[in-house]
Amino acid sequence: MATGSSQIEDFGQVSRTVGTIFRYLILAATLFGIVVLAALLVYVANDALQPATADPGWYLTFFLTLVAPTALVGWAVHRRGPAAFTFGSFLVGLLVVSLMFSGGVGLLVVDVVPPLVGFSFAIAIAVPTAISVFLTRYSHRIGFTSRLSATAFVFYLSLFGLPGPIGSPIGVPQVVPSLARAIQSIPVIPVDWMMVGTVLGGIGGAVVGSYVAGVRDARTGLVAGGLAFAATLVSAVVGPFVGLNPVPSTVLTAVTVLPTATYAWRGAFTEERRPAGLGFAAVVVGGALVGAAATSTLGFAGPQSWVDWQFLTSAHSGSAENAGLYPAIGGSILLMATVAALSFPIGVGAAVYLEEYAPDNRLTRFVDVNISNLAGVPSVVYGLLGLGVFVTYLGQAAGTVIVGGATLALLILPIVIISSREAIRSVPSNMRQASYGMGATRWQTVKNVILPEAFPGILTGTILALGRAIGETAPLIMIAAPNVVFSLPTALESKVSAMPLQVYAWSSLFASEDFYTKAVPAGVVVLLAVLLAMNSIAIVLRNRFERTG
Amino acid sequence: MSQQNTDEQTTSEQDAGDGGSPDPTDDEMLIQTDVSESVDETSGTRRRETVVRAEHVDVWYDDNQALSDITMEIPEQSVTAMVGPSGCGKSTFLRCINRMNDLIDSARVEGDLYLRGKNVYDDDVDPVALRRRVGMVFQKPNPFPKSIYDNVTYGLEIQDKGGDYDEIVERSLKRAALWDEVNDQLDESGLELSGGQQQRLCIARAIAPDPEVLLMDEPASALDPVATSQIEDLIEELARDYTVVIVTHNMQQAARISDQTAVFLTGGELVEFDDTQKIFENPESQRVEDYITGKFG
Repeated sequence: MATGSSQIEDFGQVSRTVGTIFRYLILAATLFGIVVLAALLVYVANDALQPATADPGWYLTFFLTLVAPTALVGWAVHRRGPAAFTFGSFLVGLLVVSLMFSGGVGLLVVDVVPPLVGFSFAIAIAVPTAISVFLTRYSHRIGFTSRLSATAFVFYLSLFGLPGPIGSPIGVPQVVPSLARAIQSIPVIPVDWMMVGTVLGGIGGAVVGSYVAGVRDARTGLVAGGLAFAATLVSAVVGPFVGLNPVPSTVLTAVTVLPTATYAWRGAFTEERRPAGLGFAAVVVGGALVGAAATSTLGFAGPQSWVDWQFLTSAHSGSAENAGLYPAIGGSILLMATVAALSFPIGVGAAVYLEEYAPDNRLTRFVDVNISNLAGVPSVVYGLLGLGVFVTYLGQAAGTVIVGGATLALLILPIVIISSREAIRSVPSNMRQASYGMGATRWQTVKNVILPEAFPGILTGTILALGRAIGETAPLIMIAAPNVVFSLPTALESKVSAMPLQVYAWSSLFASEDFYTKAVPAGVVVLLAVLLAMNSIAIVLRNRFERTG
Repeated sequence: MSQQNTDEQTTSEQDAGDGGSPDPTDDEMLIQTDVSESVDETSGTRRRETVVRAEHVDVWYDDNQALSDITMEIPEQSVTAMVGPSGCGKSTFLRCINRMNDLIDSARVEGDLYLRGKNVYDDDVDPVALRRRVGMVFQKPNPFPKSIYDNVTYGLEIQDKGGDYDEIVERSLKRAALWDEVNDQLDESGLELSGGQQQRLCIARAIAPDPEVLLMDEPASALDPVATSQIEDLIEELARDYTVVIVTHNMQQAARISDQTAVFLTGGELVEFDDTQKIFENPESQRVEDYITGKFG
């Protein structure tokens, strides 16, 4: 259109002053937050880990065996393929996180659930599950109602026997013992590691098997599952030769070795083909091991950190040097298990109802607003609610696992509902349309399309909410959870303490220079490490979700 | 037409073909017609029975009228195209046939719409059961994030239909002209296919449970020309077995593939409905001629 007759001399300038000022202001805000947070973490970690107390030789050794090779190999691997580097770092991360989890599982297996009880209940759940899966396979021939009642009956029989808790209040004696009870009463019982190994290896084998079956085919999955089960049992026999008791070595195999090995296999030897990443992971792990061996032979002392084995495995003590966090760690784990078991089904159920079923009317809008408000209610108010409802009104003993778990579950319930709704809402509406267009009922659409699609998002939200619950102190104080317990709770009705509560107790009741500088920072670091491990799972889930969705 | 449907035939066939008043005591939701064709021996053409019959259908979204007074008859085993400018209500009409409009809170449908002689807006009609007889393919390919196999069997699973799934999957994918491309990757996710393949997968999914009518809402508008022509060939093929109702923006597409064409114009009115050839060569309405020749719309 423009012809040569009207040449443009100058386009002029558009002012960007306001935009530039705004940009640097928000940069400053971001940096301020990050720097303050980092300074706080470094301060606490320095107190807890005491890095200055280590020998310079210790640092030098680890630099030579771990840091330098990691940097070199990492750089080389990253240059050849960033995907392999990511895979390698994930593998190392998985190893670290799964080691922490095996610590948690080990704690449950060794000190909370007696092997025989765990074993009998695992079988009493596995048998009816297998039966109901079998029934579902033949669902075309069996009606839904009869299938449901058969499933419910089999579960009831297996867990409670006949007539069970229904009969006991009216004085009917137990006629048929439950499967769990029957197993517990057999005169010859296998040794502990066999029972623990069977249960953990069974779960591990099932998970590994289905994962491998998803990557390859069903037969490979079956073989891998069988191998994983066998490996767990064999590890109990091999364990004592490398200085591990049989039970911890089965836990270590099932919770750490199996997932790490499966992930390594997938990344390195399937079609993804990133053996370089495996090499990188091997350099990191090998470097750490060689470094540890070298420092102990050369006699270089590591840092005198307060977070040590003794701190993790002993109970509170009058002196800060001997104080430990073990009962509080166990208490937190049990509380989180209770919270997850309570808040997940209720929260997800409410979210599904509100998103998929509820009509858009005043009542649901009222509920909407209130859920958002409840998410912001201070936690101490929830503590008061828990005390009022569970302890005063329902007459439960104060400070127990079940009361604490239920109170914290109430606390995070709004967050679980909101994040689950968000995940459900993000399922593309054309998938709903496709399902309804095929003639699916609402329930079929929810079950087959919406929940599978939304599940990673729901799980991410729930884990982040659990992360909030694990750090809560005020509700536990309100329900009169004891500040200090010396042993792990063994039942839902036992008194429980938790990590943040123990740290709070050290900083208030036992306030002394010693506790301030030693036990408190160590407790905070352990709490943060557990929190980070949980969040890392949430982040991994979310990344996978975003990539597929 | 389909094995499934012949098995479910009811006793009141005489009610069906002529679209007479439905028998309320009939425990079947929709009345089946006899699928054996009455062939006119002299001319060799088949007398086509009406499958969908709309009588004075109005649709409102809140206070906006999207369709006004639609009356038309859609014959079986043919392709009926609906064309018209955006917002003229042609998709709305399509969604009336399988009551997908029920899912929109603000939508309100008045008038009568008969499928094989049964008014689908009767109180005793379960929209879910209706949708199991009327397959639908959407504008944007929307396979489920499941394997190709599970996508095709979805309709069978939710209807709790028995049968040899492997065989049905193979047959449906062959009919959807997708079998040769995917037969070695049935376990892979349907989302990993290309757009055109995804749409053909959606067609396979829609025809797997053997519906009576196949509704297609601009099935090729999100696809490239090659995939579009594959889908068009497929639609002509499918019309041998199914009654296909297709909404399209594309005049040439309607002219190429359809037997009848309905022209909707702004305001939600059905201006003309006739054999495609007649609509495109000699339309009665001036507005239709203007629209088809591109003078407006």
